[in-house]
Parts: sequence; structure tokens; C-alpha cells
Amino acid sequence: MKKIMIFGVPLLAFLVLVVFLFSGLFSDPRQLDSQVKGKLMPAFSLPDLMNPETTYTPEVFKGKVTLLNVWGVWCVTCAVELPYLTELTEQEGISIVGLYFDQDLDPEFGTKTLNRVQQEVVEITSRFGNPYQFHIFDVYRDTALDLGVTGAPEHFLIDHNGVIRMHHIGDINERVWNKKVGPLYAQLLKELAQENTTE
Amino acid sequence: MKPVILTILLLISASVLATEDSYEFDTPQQRQLFLSLTEELRCPMCQNQNIADSDAMIAHDMRRKVYNLVKQGKTGDEVIDYMKTRYGDFISYKPPVTPVTLWLWLAPVLFAVLAFVIVIVRRKSTPPEDMAAKLAKAEAMLKQGDK
Repeated sequence: MKKIMIFGVPLLAFLVLVVFLFSGLFSDPRQLDSQVKGKLMPAFSLPDLMNPETTYTPEVFKGKVTLLNVWGVWCVTCAVELPYLTELTEQEGISIVGLYFDQDLDPEFGTKTLNRVQQEVVEITSRFGNPYQFHIFDVYRDTALDLGVTGAPEHFLIDHNGVIRMHHIGDINERVWNKKVGPLYAQLLKELAQENTTE
Repeated sequence: MKPVILTILLLISASVLATEDSYEFDTPQQRQLFLSLTEELRCPMCQNQNIADSDAMIAHDMRRKVYNLVKQGKTGDEVIDYMKTRYGDFISYKPPVTPVTLWLWLAPVLFAVLAFVIVIVRRKSTPPEDMAAKLAKAEAMLKQGDK
């Protein structure tokens, strides 16, 4: 009995430690539990980046499935995923909306003119592809904060009721689309179709 | 001499950078609250820094938000809750007590109690030896060795 204790207890402790550390190898500390998943898009009233007279509210997401892409021209990964996102819009007909926020634009002082921002966006999208229906301009980055955005790029899959169904941190490439985002997108389309037939 | 001057200059420049966000407060209590909150809130981008130390954009924005909320007269708990509803429990360096995190407090106590119990049990289980008999035996052996 004593022998079992002397060898067994440390062995058990060691095994528990191994399992714990091994699982740690594959855990991504950036993968935080999203707080907005399953909730309605937080209230906002923001201008269109290209036509500031147009104002958007969460109503804009009603009646269709939208991929909201949080991005900015200053973000390299965002530029890298543009060609693939453009491909997706062409192949699958996805409606991608940009939630644009600028890094250099200090809300208190405003170091950049809107004109300059628009120019930069046109430059980037004409170079790498333009998957966007339009851009919601998150001037004060408040909506990004409400959404729990930690950086760019981040993506939100929004269903036809305006409910956020997925928060994906990082870029979307073929692997991510096929494994994670695509299946849910297909399901949301199905839900939308069902709703339309029952009405 | 030159390196010394350079070092001093570098030290000064660092402190200038640190005061980059100079927020104005109505009362010293608000300033104190702001400082303690930015120290307790964790930056979601640079995960081992609080938002007071981090230079990530999200940390800037969070500081600005904390400042605005404090200015509005929100209490510390309200500001923490505001951030938690957006970024989750992760955002605070003080974890809440939940069935999962309870072990953080319970495990050390349990360990100490267990160790204490083991010590007690082992002490009792050693039977009182007949010391006199043992000593006599040893004595005999020593005597044999002398011969």
C-alpha cells in the first residue's frame, strides 16, 4: 500500500500535469469568449465612409445574412485577405460590409481628413480587390469597443434578424472559411430561406 | 560621459511618453479612480499588460472610454462591468469567483489541510518502540565489536 502511494501519487500528479501542459500547447490565448455572440448588434448610428450623409443603424442588417468585416488600411492582414474575400463575394454571393476604423484618427484631435481616409481606402481596394457593399465608418471606434473588437481584422457573421452569430478574430482564408465560417454561413442562409417560406 | 547623458536623455524621454494621455479630472478622487481602473483592466491585445501600460490602440481607446465613464460619475464597479459585458471576465485582473475559478482559492487551502492531516496520521501510525530494548541490543553489538 505504501509503495503504491510513493510511486502512484507522484505518477498521477505528473500525468495530470502532462495533460494540462499538453492541452496548453494548442490553446490560443487570443481566442477569447466573445460576449456579443447570440446578441443583437449593439445600437449605433454611423455614417457611410464614402457618403457621410448616409447614416446606418443596425436596421441595415435585417433581412439578409451579412459578414461584417472590421478593418482598416493600416492593417496588413486585412489587405492580405482582401483577394480571398473578393473571391468569396464572386463565388458565393456573400454580402460583406466593412466596419472601417482608422488608427491615426484621434477622436479628440483628428489628425487626418475624411478625404484622405477615403483616398486610402480606394487605393487599397483597387489594388487588392473590393469585396465590400459599403463601409460603415466607426468614427470614434465606439462600436468596435461595443463589439469587443481587440484589433483588426475581425469578422462578425450577422443573421437576418440582426443577431451576431459568430465573432471570428483574425483573417478569413480558405481553411478558415471551409472549417469555421462557411458552414455557419450556409446554416444562416437556410434559416433565412425557412423564414421566408413560412411568411 | 556621453553614454551617461544619453541614458539620462532616454530616461527623460520615456517619462514624457508615459504622460502622453494627459486627462483632466474634476476631482482628485476621479483621477485616483481612473488610475486604479487602468491598472486593473487588462489589455486584450497585449495580454500581459494592463491598459495603463499598453500602447496598443485598443488600450488607448479603453483608457479614453474609462476616462469618459469616470467623468460621467460612474463608479469603479460600473466601469469594470461595462468592460466585462464587452470583453468578458478576461478583461479584469481580478477573476470573479465561479465554480471553475473557485479552485484558485480552494486548492492551496485543501493542499495545506491535506498535508497537515498526513503529518498527523503518520506521526500516530509510528508505534512507540521499545527504546530500552533497542539500546541494550546496540550496546551488546558495540561490546562485541570491542573484543
